[in-house]
Amino acid sequence: MIVLFRVDDRLIHGQVILGWGSVLRPDRIILADDEVASNEWEKNLYAASVVPEIKVSILPLLEAAAQLKRGIFDTERVILLVRHPKDVVALMDLGLPVGEVNIGGLHFREGRQKLLDNVYIDGEERNIMRELVKRGVILDGRAVPGSRAVKLNSRVV
Amino acid sequence: MSDEKHSGRTAGIVVTHGKLAEELVRTAELIVGTQEDLYAVAASDLCDEDIIGRVREIVRARADTNVIVFVDYFGGSCCINSVRAVEHEEGIKIISGVNLPVLLAFATKRGTMPFEEMVDHIIRRGRESVKVVDL
Repeated sequence: MIVLFRVDDRLIHGQVILGWGSVLRPDRIILADDEVASNEWEKNLYAASVVPEIKVSILPLLEAAAQLKRGIFDTERVILLVRHPKDVVALMDLGLPVGEVNIGGLHFREGRQKLLDNVYIDGEERNIMRELVKRGVILDGRAVPGSRAVKLNSRVV
Repeated sequence: MSDEKHSGRTAGIVVTHGKLAEELVRTAELIVGTQEDLYAVAASDLCDEDIIGRVREIVRARADTNVIVFVDYFGGSCCINSVRAVEHEEGIKIISGVNLPVLLAFATKRGTMPFEEMVDHIIRRGRESVKVVDL
């Protein structure tokens, strides 16, 4: 059961493991990212940063969608993590039902405009998030559980 | 990976979230005096590329000495960015869990013992520093 579906360009790090992890108490973190999944060094880097109490799966998007749809993780509390809003669209196109996404970290980069301290987006990203809104997805902008709750839907249309 | 480099005293780079790195270095210097080659990279207003760039820049400028990169905690973005920054460099160690005693140990011991021995000493000091104060 997915207890958190999060977009964060820092992937696995303290806010995910400790910030959300200590409140949601997940059994597993699934990092769905083609780039990391295809690189042993990167996989080890991110896997090593997870506390021993939480299991880690680092999978390409296609495989993550397939495994989730097969119900393999239905009895586990899972944090599903992707790098970018377009990965949310990709997973939905692969048949994953999505109701709410935590836009937890899209960090400052040239060309991005600030929405929140932890969310900066450019034009293309705004369009992708608009598409998610059109598909009925709620976009929650909290960095960590205790952050002020901000629904981003009206901020991207 | 951790060859002894003999040209000079080991350099230090402190990399943390927020502005912690700057204050840690400043505070250590209040106690043991101004330190040459002890740099602070405070991530607060920097993006990942900037952090990696800064660390790499310092490491390359000090290519003739060993370097210790002190990061705030294991597995965080400062840690991961530092690992990326030094991936192809030699004579570098990254130590997580930086605290004031760690920096004080570094400042007092660098230049007095071989690199590997100093790293062990610093880690020991860091760990020993966390205890119940029972006087």
